[in-house]
Amino acid sequence: MSTMAFDKELDLRNLPCPMPVVKISKGIKEVAVGGVVKAVTTDPGALTDFPAWAKTSGNQILGTDEAGGEVSFFIKRMK
Amino acid sequence: MEAQLKNDLVNVFKSKLSSQMLLNLDTCSRCGLCTEACHAYASIPLVKYAPAYRAEVVRRIYKRSFTAQGKFAPVMGEAKEITDAALMELKEAAFSCTGCRRCMVYCPFGIDTQQIMSIAKLLLVAAQAEPETLSMLADMSVSKGENIDAFKEGFLSGIKRLEDQMIQTWRDEAGEDPIPTDVVGADLLYVALAGAHSIIPSARIFNAAGEKWSLSFFEAVNFGAFVGDPTKTKLILDRIVNEAKRLRVKEVCICECGTAVRVAKQLKGAPFKVVSLTEVHARYIRQGRIRLKKLPGSYTYHDPCQIARNGGVYDEPRYILSHLVNDFREMSPDPKYNWCCGGGGGLVAMGDETLDFRMQSAKVKADQVRGSGADVVVTACENCHTQLSDLNKHYGLGKEVRFLSSLVADALLPEPQEARG
Amino acid sequence: MATLYYLILVPMVYLAVAVFVLGTIWRIGRLLAAPSAPPPPPIYPLRKPAWLFAVGDALLLPTVLRHNFRLWLALALFHLGLLALLLGHLELIAEFKILQVVPHGIFLGHGFVGLAVILCLIYFLCRRMVSPTKELSVPEDYLLLVLFLFTALFGAQMDWARTWYDYSSMGVDEYRAYLSSLIALKPNIEGVTSAGHSFMLVGHIFFANLLIMAFPFTKLMHAIFTFAMNKFRRG
Repeated sequence: MSTMAFDKELDLRNLPCPMPVVKISKGIKEVAVGGVVKAVTTDPGALTDFPAWAKTSGNQILGTDEAGGEVSFFIKRMK
Repeated sequence: MEAQLKNDLVNVFKSKLSSQMLLNLDTCSRCGLCTEACHAYASIPLVKYAPAYRAEVVRRIYKRSFTAQGKFAPVMGEAKEITDAALMELKEAAFSCTGCRRCMVYCPFGIDTQQIMSIAKLLLVAAQAEPETLSMLADMSVSKGENIDAFKEGFLSGIKRLEDQMIQTWRDEAGEDPIPTDVVGADLLYVALAGAHSIIPSARIFNAAGEKWSLSFFEAVNFGAFVGDPTKTKLILDRIVNEAKRLRVKEVCICECGTAVRVAKQLKGAPFKVVSLTEVHARYIRQGRIRLKKLPGSYTYHDPCQIARNGGVYDEPRYILSHLVNDFREMSPDPKYNWCCGGGGGLVAMGDETLDFRMQSAKVKADQVRGSGADVVVTACENCHTQLSDLNKHYGLGKEVRFLSSLVADALLPEPQEARG
Repeated sequence: MATLYYLILVPMVYLAVAVFVLGTIWRIGRLLAAPSAPPPPPIYPLRKPAWLFAVGDALLLPTVLRHNFRLWLALALFHLGLLALLLGHLELIAEFKILQVVPHGIFLGHGFVGLAVILCLIYFLCRRMVSPTKELSVPEDYLLLVLFLFTALFGAQMDWARTWYDYSSMGVDEYRAYLSSLIALKPNIEGVTSAGHSFMLVGHIFFANLLIMAFPFTKLMHAIFTFAMNKFRRG
């Protein structure tokens, strides 16, 4: 999964609430529709926040990748 | 603006006119005493940041639609129709107000500017002109509540990873289940934020105190309250209420988040008590359930507005700090008058969008922090922590900004063997 | 001129009282009829009994005293002056034994209360001409101050004018006869329209009528609402 291609990487490690979601929602607009953003986070809450955000914002989580206490989300911009 | 929308907005306004709101709108004598109470005005002396002026922005629309004076002699009170320009003014007024209610302490009548701003926020929501970021966050929180079963697994895997970290770092005290979730019959439900920094120190302290606790699946912060949408505020709070009822807990403990504490403490008739994390930590110390060592350095404490002035938690943080440090310095001679950090009301949650304004409007806060002479600024609110950290960087204050809970966790002494039972 | 005097001294007074009473009842009724929403939190720390502190806040204005002594002094003088003048006017209707605890003629303050009120009003007006109070003010704020000022000027002048005009031809007895006749609904303005300074009485009553009528439709309602507001703040 870590080899999944992406257009932009966002470092969302150790951010205060609610910056991970704020930054991903802004970051996704910086790639073209159909583009993929890789977001790396350390927040346990992000594991529910990101899917909930993707659902309400109409974007798609292609997959996740866990390594060394960090989780990477691969999110495709759908609109 | 279309006539239909204007009509809808007048009806939305009407829905906010409770007896208390009418008093807030009808009593102001525009004496101007509140101007110096607002950190934004004190830092940027533009009259648009004076609380009474912000309130007038809403009041003008109120007068035009709902008062005899505004209908028959609009010029007297500068009564105004709702227009697109008025919406822009409402937005600036509402989202440059942090809802700290310091002006309410100055006002001879006790007019609640934050309540008046809640009308502005609701009108913006109804006109779909509210800050996008805040409504996005509120929608996310609501969706999480509606689909918790779908998201639970991800959350649990995240918690499992934190537990592994805890067991590695604090092998002795972590126990077998350092971060319990979904514990039916727990005494205390802890509602944290998304970040590990809001979970690990608290978990250590709960475990050290021998608390029978359970971590909530939901984040404490209520983005519905920030955006000013009462329906979403309730939906977001209900997620926690329902979880607490299902687990039959006696207490719901809200993490270091001012808005979350404020919103939850306003719950009436719930079968559980709502407490802030700071109150719980003070109780543990008082009951001898945790012991702390003294930390070196000089410390000051920033009272989060929603927890202190609007929540009454003044003594507990000072009690905790008296067990934590030898050199404590008050920031404000009377904590009721503490300056707001300048980050509340959703301003910090809007991130970089509001950074410039947050830094400029909180100059008085930066001066106050500098004036305290302490090395470490302690607080008990996520928003305040973020804002104080930003101020620290922007004004080169050279302080360390810490959460009170993380200091408590750092100072934990191992329990005496006999107490461990 | 006689017709104008009559209109101001009789029908306009009745109209003003009716507007004041009905308007105020309507305003309070509207408040009571409004839905009640869960109240936001009070300002902490709380002091008990909350109602007593709320009454103290409403009457003594401790927050103003703390933050702006000059304004507090003017507000205290102004409001106490109004209270003294109100009591003085009651004595223009009839003699009240209870008010004679300190033996005095009509108007205990010998015109100095009126003067103090006038000075306070001038100070309030000046305050509204400088920033930031200037930008906060709306026409209503100036209009009310001007109405108050004219009412007080004409009223106080009547007392002073006794030495300049034909004092003996219009005094307490004439005022009492006029006001009692109004209350008895048998208006008689003869005694108060023939003196040299009658125009001052007419001016005083004209502006007072306007002020009384404005009461229910302006911020003057703070006189009543302040108690409820302060109670909310105290919890």
